[in-house]
Amino acid sequence: MSDATVFIIDDDQAVARSLRWLIETVRLKVETFASAQAFLDHYDASKPGCLVLDVRMPGMSGLELQERLAARGGYHPPIIFITGHGDVQMAVRAVQAGAFDFVEKPFNDQDLLDRIQRAIAHDAGQRDKEELRSQLKALFASLTPREREVLDLVVAGMSNKAIANTLGLSAKTVEVHRAKVMEKLHARSLSDLVKLAMQNQPG
Amino acid sequence: MAVGNESLLLAAVVLGWVLTSTLIGALVMALRLREARQRERDKDEAHAVVLERLRDNECRLRAIIESEPECVKLQAADGTVLEINPAGLALVGAERDEDIVGKKIYTVVAPEYRDHYRENMRRVFAGEAVVYEFKSITLKGHTTWMETHAVPLRDARGAIYALLGITRDITERKWGEEQARRHQTELARVARLSTMGEMATGIAHELNQPLAAIANFARGSLRRLRGGNVAPADLLQPLEEICAQAERAGEVMRHVRDFVRKRDTRMTAVDINRVVQSAARLTELECRQHHAKIMLDLVSGQPRVWADSIMIEQVICNLIRNSVEAMAEARSPVRLVALSTSRPDDDTVEIVVGDTGPGIDGALIDRVFDQFFTTKPEGVGMGLSISRSIVESHGGGLRAESAAGGGATFRFTLRAIGRTLLTNERRYSFHH
Ligand SMILES: Nc1ncnc2c1ncn2[C@@H]1O[C@H](COP(=O)(O)OP(=O)(O)OP(=O)(O)O)[C@@H](O)[C@H]1O
Ligand SMILES: [Mg+2]
Repeated sequence: MSDATVFIIDDDQAVARSLRWLIETVRLKVETFASAQAFLDHYDASKPGCLVLDVRMPGMSGLELQERLAARGGYHPPIIFITGHGDVQMAVRAVQAGAFDFVEKPFNDQDLLDRIQRAIAHDAGQRDKEELRSQLKALFASLTPREREVLDLVVAGMSNKAIANTLGLSAKTVEVHRAKVMEKLHARSLSDLVKLAMQNQPG
Repeated sequence: MAVGNESLLLAAVVLGWVLTSTLIGALVMALRLREARQRERDKDEAHAVVLERLRDNECRLRAIIESEPECVKLQAADGTVLEINPAGLALVGAERDEDIVGKKIYTVVAPEYRDHYRENMRRVFAGEAVVYEFKSITLKGHTTWMETHAVPLRDARGAIYALLGITRDITERKWGEEQARRHQTELARVARLSTMGEMATGIAHELNQPLAAIANFARGSLRRLRGGNVAPADLLQPLEEICAQAERAGEVMRHVRDFVRKRDTRMTAVDINRVVQSAARLTELECRQHHAKIMLDLVSGQPRVWADSIMIEQVICNLIRNSVEAMAEARSPVRLVALSTSRPDDDTVEIVVGDTGPGIDGALIDRVFDQFFTTKPEGVGMGLSISRSIVESHGGGLRAESAAGGGATFRFTLRAIGRTLLTNERRYSFHH
């Protein structure tokens, strides 16, 4: 977790510096950006962490940045919005549009730090899942079309014999394909196989 | 109100015209008749016939005047009332002729309006037809507002010997106007309050920033101190930051105080040129500091507007300051601020502040009026926002223009006063 970075995006440099001073007390890395555009220009999606940004910013607003990140497709780190007094409605819209959380100014320092930790944990979880998903994808991609067919029918609960009948193969051949699939997917049992197949469902 | 005014005026014109061009001659004689009466007794038959005819005329004239529902009176150059009809007697609160005839008209003119009245009389005796308003205190002690349409009366040789005045009570109308003005002030106050509401939101945001920064620096420092892993020298920087942010908050408050002065609008008839000149004087020092020169191009005739002169002066000062600051910032080789007033039509006075600075970027021209929009490190961005709301509370509009060749121009309009009299005189100049 110590490799997580808090990306602070605030047009007010004094506020950005003060957030850095505060957040560094919990031994997190901090990077500050003076505008949403500057962040987009330098953003490295592979870095784990979370975004802390002011809803109100001249130029591209915090909400717009969130939209841009979403529109890019793929994964982006969780966003915590800082809202001014009376901007709560804007914050609610942000959360509806997928923001992780928001804090209202003036905020309690512990509260902000807790939320940041939660966002970072969420990010780590998402990244693990993402990692797993891409690994699975790679494993499944290594299957031949025939093996894929056999797997689908196994997962559907058919016996080797029924599969052999359905595909017009010998029971022996089905047996071989099945063993190959288990091996390629590192599955030890039928239930492993079913679980893996479920996890690979898109979404 | 306009319709009533015009029909009354028309009546006055017709009456005035009839009286002056046909019956006045007779009236002149009627007046002379008074002295003549003493001497006439011994005159011969022929004379008697002429006199008879004159008396007839006098009677006819009297009949008209007596039955006239408006107050009709004749005054001498020194203000002595020569003749007055019953409607006039009632108007000035007199029971009998003797209460007012032979006395000075000033006895029923409120003291603060006597000079104004005298001035108008002087104009009539100089040959003008005039319409004037004045406050009256009647013989019964009531305060009323009067409006008089006055024309000079000339004798056979053309010499002016009296003033014929038709006067009516306009207290009700005046009261209505006063109400309307109060209403206007109230509207302006409400408008200001609502822009202050908007402003409060802006100020809240503007104050929240330094306060948030202060809190973060302070808490970050406390956490380090409590954790026992900080050298005192490491706290210098955040403490400096805290001081700077506290000063920043103070600066916001100072600007707010400067702008939001708790005072009522005081609308008076002001000569706009004087306001412009005074604004130019107030900003002289800043101009000199930044090597800028002010040029004045003022419309003649002291155009008057209903305005709170202090507020309008503040608007003009804001505009001048912005120009000077823009030219200094851009290091403009020529630094001129042109202040001009003009009268595009009878109803309007326009005030323009132009400069030879960098002008305003087309993309920003709509935003310069936004609260807290500023491109200056020390700016708060309230100047134009406040100025616009002041002009709007006066019923005008403030606009920005930027020429291609550089230079910014800000213009606003105010409603001119004195129009009614002007058009009336033009449309119904009295014949005599
Ligand atoms: N004459 C001008 N020429 C060029 N830019 C101008 C001119 N007047 C105003 N501006 C622009 O409009 C902005 C807003 O002006 P405004 O007077 O509202 O605020 P300010 O001058 O920045 O701050 P302050 O609140 O201290 O007046 C300025 O910062 C400047 O960028
Ligand atoms: Mg200004």
